[in-house]
Amino acid sequence: MSLAPSSAPARMPGWLLILPALLFLVAFFVLPLIDNSLRSFEVGGEFSLGRYIQLLTDTFYLGVIVETVVLSTAVTVICALIGYPVAYYLVRHAGRWSGLIVFLLIAPLLTSIIMRTYGWQVLFARRGLVNTLLVQDLGILERPLQLLNTPGIAIAALVHVLVPFMVLSIATVLQGIDQRLEEGAQMLGASRWRTFLEVTLPLSADGIGTGAILVFMIANGSFVTLVLLGGGFQTLPLFIYQQFTTTRDFGMASTMSTILLVIAMTCLYLQLRLVRRAGV
Amino acid sequence: MGRFALTAFVIAFFIFMLAPILVVVVVSFTSAGYASFPIPGWSLRWFVRIWEYPPFINAMITSTVVAVLATVLSCLISIPGALYLARARAGWANVVATFLLSPLSMPMIVIGFSSLFFLTAVGIGISMTALVITHTVVCMPYVLRTVIAVYRSVPPPYEEAAAILGANPLRTFIEVTLPLIRPGIAAGSLFSFLTSFDNLPVSFFFASAQTSTLPVVMLSYIENQFDPSIAALSTLQLALALVCLILADRLYGIKKMTVAA
Repeated sequence: MSLAPSSAPARMPGWLLILPALLFLVAFFVLPLIDNSLRSFEVGGEFSLGRYIQLLTDTFYLGVIVETVVLSTAVTVICALIGYPVAYYLVRHAGRWSGLIVFLLIAPLLTSIIMRTYGWQVLFARRGLVNTLLVQDLGILERPLQLLNTPGIAIAALVHVLVPFMVLSIATVLQGIDQRLEEGAQMLGASRWRTFLEVTLPLSADGIGTGAILVFMIANGSFVTLVLLGGGFQTLPLFIYQQFTTTRDFGMASTMSTILLVIAMTCLYLQLRLVRRAGV
Repeated sequence: MGRFALTAFVIAFFIFMLAPILVVVVVSFTSAGYASFPIPGWSLRWFVRIWEYPPFINAMITSTVVAVLATVLSCLISIPGALYLARARAGWANVVATFLLSPLSMPMIVIGFSSLFFLTAVGIGISMTALVITHTVVCMPYVLRTVIAVYRSVPPPYEEAAAILGANPLRTFIEVTLPLIRPGIAAGSLFSFLTSFDNLPVSFFFASAQTSTLPVVMLSYIENQFDPSIAALSTLQLALALVCLILADRLYGIKKMTVAA
């Protein structure tokens, strides 16, 4: 079915064409990850489950894992809540503005992560725009608020990075919904709100699902935002970063990486199942 | 009423999305010696400062070299595979495609951390070679994905006709296939270049005097100082990305590219 059958019958089977990519990824993607996982099972030159036992019994480490999942879940839920109305507007009401909206959604993806965190720092610094507004211009507050290094700003910054993925995933599915179904429900006497809750929302569940897995997956691995904006979170990627830069306990960092990898693979598996079900 | 509330929400959403970015663009033109907004006056001094600060320039060169090499390598290894996978119907081909795209789904910090130890163990260590290899791992899926998508829309008879008329496989590829898949290669290369240029979680582990990329240098700079030169650099980077995007749009049409993405 490739170039090969018609153009080079006997000389070269077509599947050879995938070998460069396949061998490259096995050598420089799979082997490093396996090597890394093996290191997490090795204590003093011998096989040991020690680090995993420590990880799952020590409340500190267990806390890091739980916090990673909780933070990513919270970010995912917020992205869905904010992203859905935007996707709905884009598909149903934007009309000739839809091109602009898509551009505005994609443009932030072109900016570096450092640029965006820097923007948040300028906005929310002690003498930043928000504090100046609240204290000097509007006189609502007596003195500036401590906004940076709070969980709220860190979460907002993560949502800012990830919400476009959610909007685009939901919009793709919304676009495919037959609007006659909604009209039908309304003709049968359902209110707009009820039509939305009982027809549109369930039909777009796959879009929310795809977006949620994508957002969750990326949120799980992000650390630059948390390194720069603080917020007091202790997550797996942040922990790996700290283990590498300061503590230098590479064995523990390998263990944490492996856990993160297992979570990512689970997400990938769920994603594939969802895509297959949607028949894409 | 509901429609009005929805519109207001969408406007608020885009203020949220654009504010942190626009603020940085404005701050990059500040005349002040510190980063604050609103700015007291306009100047280009922070762009001059980038120019006069060697670590930034060196890192920019490093990043460009790595991004170009990683993109070229990505094309070389993934285009052949994409040509096969686009038309393969076998179940295992699907599995292979999923595998070849999987670096996109793995946490980059894990890829970076694991690669550092692995490449050091096999003697490649912290070097430009190591940077190019790991960047290729994370960039290759973009080229693969776009080329598969574009090649799927190319009807097989074009190539069959060339073969019937006596062109050998290489000539068929160069004169028929390649021009047809060029938009896919362009889009994939663009994503690959921008991804590599902006990469921090992988590059971070391979930092040394000779191998620090721009994001790595920016991160260590921003951790110690908060002057507007980072804003100026970010603005330049955004401008570069926009220019690339517009150029690609002019050459191949953004529609073709976003479909492929």
